[in-house]
Amino acid sequence: MSKPLKCSLCEEAATVHLSQVVHGKVTKVHLCEACAQKGGATDPAVFQLADALTAATPAAPTITCPQCGFTDIDFRKRGRLGCPSCWETFGDVLGGLLAKVQHEPEHVGRAPAGVLPAAQLRRRLTAARLEMEKSISAEDYELAARLRDEIATLEKQLTPS
Amino acid sequence: MSVQDILDDESELTHLLGGQQAVVLSTRIRLARNLEGMPFPGWAKVPQRKEISERCVDALNDLPKFRRGHVLRMGELADRDRAVLVERHLVSKELAAGKSGAAVISRDQTCSVMINEEDHLRIQVVKAGWHLRGTWNIAEQLDDALGAHLKLAFSDRLGYLTACPTNVGTGLRASAMVHLPGLCLAGHMDKVSRALNQDGLAVRGWLGEGTEAAGNVFQISNQQTLGLSEDAILKHLGGWIKNVIEQEWNARRKLAQDEGERFLDRIARSAGVLRSARLLTSSEAMNMLSHLRLACDMGCIPEERRHIVDRLMIEGQPAHVQARAGEELDSDGRDRRRAAVVREALRDLPELVPPTA
Repeated sequence: MSKPLKCSLCEEAATVHLSQVVHGKVTKVHLCEACAQKGGATDPAVFQLADALTAATPAAPTITCPQCGFTDIDFRKRGRLGCPSCWETFGDVLGGLLAKVQHEPEHVGRAPAGVLPAAQLRRRLTAARLEMEKSISAEDYELAARLRDEIATLEKQLTPS
Repeated sequence: MSVQDILDDESELTHLLGGQQAVVLSTRIRLARNLEGMPFPGWAKVPQRKEISERCVDALNDLPKFRRGHVLRMGELADRDRAVLVERHLVSKELAAGKSGAAVISRDQTCSVMINEEDHLRIQVVKAGWHLRGTWNIAEQLDDALGAHLKLAFSDRLGYLTACPTNVGTGLRASAMVHLPGLCLAGHMDKVSRALNQDGLAVRGWLGEGTEAAGNVFQISNQQTLGLSEDAILKHLGGWIKNVIEQEWNARRKLAQDEGERFLDRIARSAGVLRSARLLTSSEAMNMLSHLRLACDMGCIPEERRHIVDRLMIEGQPAHVQARAGEELDSDGRDRRRAAVVREALRDLPELVPPTA
C-alpha cells in the first residue's frame, strides 16, 4: 500500500485532493477534512491560496519577520500571516497572491479616524505629480501650473506642524 | 449574563414581528480588524492572546451599543452553549473550537464582536430581512467607535491589515441569507451559483463555509476586499441580491402556475407532517419549514406566521433543542423534542389556501 498523503497545511492524513490545471501544468493540493472545510475548498478565492502552497517549499526559511519571528515557510503551511508587520516583511511574496485573489493591489476604502486625510492626501499627491509630468509632456502648461499649485498645497498639508 | 439569557431574550431574528421578509432572511456585515503591534491570534502566544482579549473586551464594554450586553469567554462555556452560539451565527465554529476566544454580544443580539478568532476583532452586525445600508451604517458606527478606543493595524497602501490575504483592505464581508426554494425546485440553483461565483460572489450553505444548504437557505457574500471601496462592494452585492430575488420570484410563480394543485399539495404535505410528526430530524424539519416559509411568501398562509417559521428554523437545530430541554439528549430524544416544539408552535396554523402572490 502506498504511504498515505499528509495534509499540505497540517500533519494530518489528507483525504481531500484538489488538482488544478493552469497552462497545461497540473498542480495538486492534499488537505485533511478539517483544513479543507476550514479553508473552504469550494471557495474560489481561498482555493487560489492553494496555488501559493503548491509552489516548491524551500527547506529553510528565506524571510523572517523581525517583529514576530514568522517565516515564509510558516506562511506556506498556514496561509495566514503572523502579525501586521508581516505584510511589509512578505510584501514580495504577497504581491503576486493579492493580484490573483483581490480586485486591485491598493486599498481605496475607509481608514481609521485621523488616518484618512493623510492617506488620501498622499494618494492625491502621487496622482497630481504624475498628472503634472504628463501635462508638461503634452505641453499643457496651464494645467501643469494648476497642478503645481495643488502639489504645493498638498505638500504643505502633509508636513507635520 | 449567560447563553440561557440569549435563548430567553427576544432577538431580532427570532421574534421581530413584521421585520421578516420574503426571500431574504437576514443581512449581515462583518469587519475584520486587528490591533497594531500584536501578533495575529493564530500566531500569538497564550499570554499575548489574553492581553488582546482584555484590551478588546475593555474597549467594547465602553461602547453604548454593548451596554447590558453579554461577554462570553469560550473557555468558560459548556460545549452545548458554544454550539448554541454557533447555530445562532453569533460566533463561528472556529471561535467556538478554541479556548482563548471571546464574544461580546449586544443585548438585542444584532451586534456581536468575536475576539481572537482568525483576527483580533471580527465585528458583526445582523438585521432580519434585507437592509444592506442600515446594517452597514451600524457596523460603520461601531468601527469608528472602536477605532477611537483602540489603535488598529492599518496601512495606507493595503488598508486594514488582516491575518489572511483574502480579508485585507476593507476587511468587509457583506452577505445576505437567502431562502431560494423556487430556484432549487426548478433545478436552477447550480446555474445561479456559477453566475455569482464568476462575478466574485461566494455562495455557501446555512452555517457558512463548507456546510450544505439545508432548507434551501444560502448565504451569498462578496469575495474581494482589496481595491474596492466599501460602497462599491455593497453596491455589487446589492445589485446581485436584487437580481436573485427577482429570479426566485419568477421561479416561484412559474412553479405555482405549472404545477397547479401539486404546488399546494407539496406545501400541505409538509405542513401536515410538521403538525403531527412525533419524531423530526433536523434536516427534515428544515426542508419542510422551507415549504412553510414559501407558503407564507405566496399567500397560502397569512404572512404574519413567517416569524414563527424563522424562529423554528433557528430553534430546531440540535444544540438549541437540547438547551431548551435543559438536558443532553440522544438523537431520538432530540427528534422527539423537536417534533413537540414544532407541533406546539404550529398548533393553530390556519387552513392553506391557493397561492395569491
